[in-house]
Formats: sequence, C-alpha cells, structure tokens
Amino acid sequence: MIKFHPSEQHLVQYAMGELSPAMLMMVGSHVDMCPTCQMHLRDVEEQLCQKAFGQRQVPLAQLDEEAMLNAIFQSSVKPSAASSAPLETLSLEGKRFKLPATLARNGDRIGPWSKMLGKMWRAPIEIGSGETLNFIYMDQGAQVPEHTHRGFEATLVVNGVFNDESDEYRDGDFVLLDGHHKHTPQTQHEDCLTLATIDAPMHFTSGLSRLLNPFSSLFLK
Amino acid sequence: MPPVQADNPEHAAELLARIASEQSRAAFAELFRHFAPRLQAYATRQFGNEQTAMDLVQETMANVWHKAHLFKPDRGSAATWIFTIARNIRFDFLRKNKHRQHDLSADDLWPVLAEENESLDDDYALDNDLLMQQLAVYTESLPKAQRIVIELIYVEGKSQQEVADALEIPLGTVKSRTRLALQKLKELIQHHD
Ligand SMILES: [Zn+2]
Repeated sequence: MIKFHPSEQHLVQYAMGELSPAMLMMVGSHVDMCPTCQMHLRDVEEQLCQKAFGQRQVPLAQLDEEAMLNAIFQSSVKPSAASSAPLETLSLEGKRFKLPATLARNGDRIGPWSKMLGKMWRAPIEIGSGETLNFIYMDQGAQVPEHTHRGFEATLVVNGVFNDESDEYRDGDFVLLDGHHKHTPQTQHEDCLTLATIDAPMHFTSGLSRLLNPFSSLFLK
Repeated sequence: MPPVQADNPEHAAELLARIASEQSRAAFAELFRHFAPRLQAYATRQFGNEQTAMDLVQETMANVWHKAHLFKPDRGSAATWIFTIARNIRFDFLRKNKHRQHDLSADDLWPVLAEENESLDDDYALDNDLLMQQLAVYTESLPKAQRIVIELIYVEGKSQQEVADALEIPLGTVKSRTRLALQKLKELIQHHD
C-alpha cells in the first residue's frame, strides 16, 4: 500500500504540464505506480477540461471552418514524437529493476551508474532543464549522513524500502521535504532504488559529516 | 436533422467511434464545430497569440481525425481526451522555440496517442465485493440505459463487446455508459461513506 502521495496541487500542475521537468518525471512515475492517483488524475483532467472548454469567450480570429477541415482531411498522419522502444528494466550490480512507464519511455535519458559514498550508487537522468534528477541506489545497510536542504528534496521509491527518523518508505511512496526537515535516510535489511531530485546541495548537520559540506555537491548535486 | 449535441458525452464518443470505424467526415465536421472554437479560446488564453492558437487548433483536430481509434471511452470523456491532446501539443509548442536538445517531449510524459495502451483496461475492475454490495443498492438510481449495461457487465459477467452485441449499440457507447455509471456509483459510494 502506498502511503505517501503527491499533493492535489502537484497532480493538477502535472496534468497541466506546469511542473518543472524533474517534478513532471517524479509525479508521472508515482502515478504509474499508484492506482489511487491514476483515478484522481482522471478526475483532475476532467475538471481542467471543463474549465478550459467551459469558458465561452468570443474568439479573436474567425475560424475558417471549411479551409481547416479540408487541410485536416488532406493531412497525413504525423509520426509520434515519442522516443523509440521503452527501457523496461534498469540494471545495476547484477540486479534488475522494472521501471515505471514514465521512466521507461524516457530510458534513453538515463546515464551510467557511478559509485557515491558508502554503499550508494547514482545514475543521472538528462532532462535538459539544468535540474538534478538521479536514480539513487542504496544497498542494504546504507546510510546518508543527517542533513537538511536549503531547497526541497523529492524522493520516489521505485523498488525496495528505506526509512528515516519519521517513517518507512516503500514502493511508490512519494516524499517531499523542504529545508525545515532534518533527516537521515537509511536502508536496513533490504536495498532500495529511488528517484530523487533536489534543488540545492544537501547540508550535513551532524558530527564529522559536517566536513562533507564543502564537497556535498560532488556526490548529490 | 437532429440538433448539434456534441455537448452530450455519449454522442461525442459515438462521433469518435464513427470517425475511427468509417472515417466519417460528417461526424468529424460535427465534432470540429463543437470543439474547434473551444480549443481556439483555450489556446488564445494560453498563448496570447492568434496564429499559435490557430496552429494548436489545427494540430489538435488533425490528431483527433487520424487517431480517433485511440480514444478509450471507458477511460474518460471525449472532451477530456481532446483536451489532453491539446495539453500535449501546448507543452511541445512552449519548448519548440527554445531549441534545447534534451527537452522532455509530451508524448513521453503523457502517452495520450500511444498505439499500445491496453494494459490499463481493467482499471475499473473495482474491488469486487465492494462493488457487489453497493451495486444492488445504488444501481437503482442510475439512468436505465446505464443500469442495464452495468448489470450485464458486473452481475452477468459479460464483456463490453458482448453487451454491445446484445443491445445492438456501438462498443464506444457501452464503454462510455460504463464509465459514466461507475463515476456516478463512485460519487454515491463516497457520499454515503
Ligand atoms: Zn498516489
């Protein structure tokens, strides 16, 4: 059971295409995994449609109906702009993970894995917006030092489970944290693949890990 | 000649079904007369530019003409399907002029016009026990046409195609009646929770 969902506001902005590219990917992937949000999204789209088409307004240009119909009847089918074959699974260290459809369709944007600190790997996703969007893989017993964020951090569990001080997060859970939260994500006896975006470097808050701050951009942004 | 009634969701779904099955230009012209001015008003608000707005209308309706077979009446209304096509085109329009190489494409985010999209067809196979309990109580309040379809599908276990054959109505109509009925049932169930 998915416990954590994007907000109503996120779903509305997703349906309008008005989130940042990284958040469109995050919310879209959550929706792929979440029947509740799929249902909800249909209602949202229905409402947006009623709003968009319901406002009667005198059009600025008079439609030349005849000419437009003729042009359409004579047009040929445009090939879809969608990328080629979806990437069904993502591999790392001999493990294979099934990708949500949004990520699968954008599989050609996924870069190579690189090892981070400890038992963690990351693979960047190139989305052309300058935002940081990464797969983060945490092996069993991995821990990110306690940190806060100057901006926000959004995490989607693609496969597995991790926890922090406040809760446990499993497949499909969508977690949004802002600069006020301090947390220490970690895995226990299971590994965990997440999709994560942060809009500012992490700020480590405890003990020796504070020494990492000048370098935090090297491994998470 | 009947009055134009593309406002009616079932009728709009039937028009799409006729475009898909027999490339009916008359059906398309009727849809066009209903939706093109709405698309134009929407796009003009979005872009503030008449030419871009007209391009969006043209491109959206061309997709409706060529891809009507991809409309799934059980997944949403015809109007919403057309709206999501326009949403995708708007998204790509807004990025097209920036010439950035790695920009996301709308089709990769929202596969409204993807050819293979059958896997979610059983989405509305609601929790069976719940449905059976509530059905008996709530179906009574549905319009007769919807109630018959729902009973054939969920009580007698017929497929949507079998229902279409039995009632001699288009498959698209069965799908839209099912969707409208389930939507209504969902509302009833939620309001009585
Ligand atoms: Zn959800």
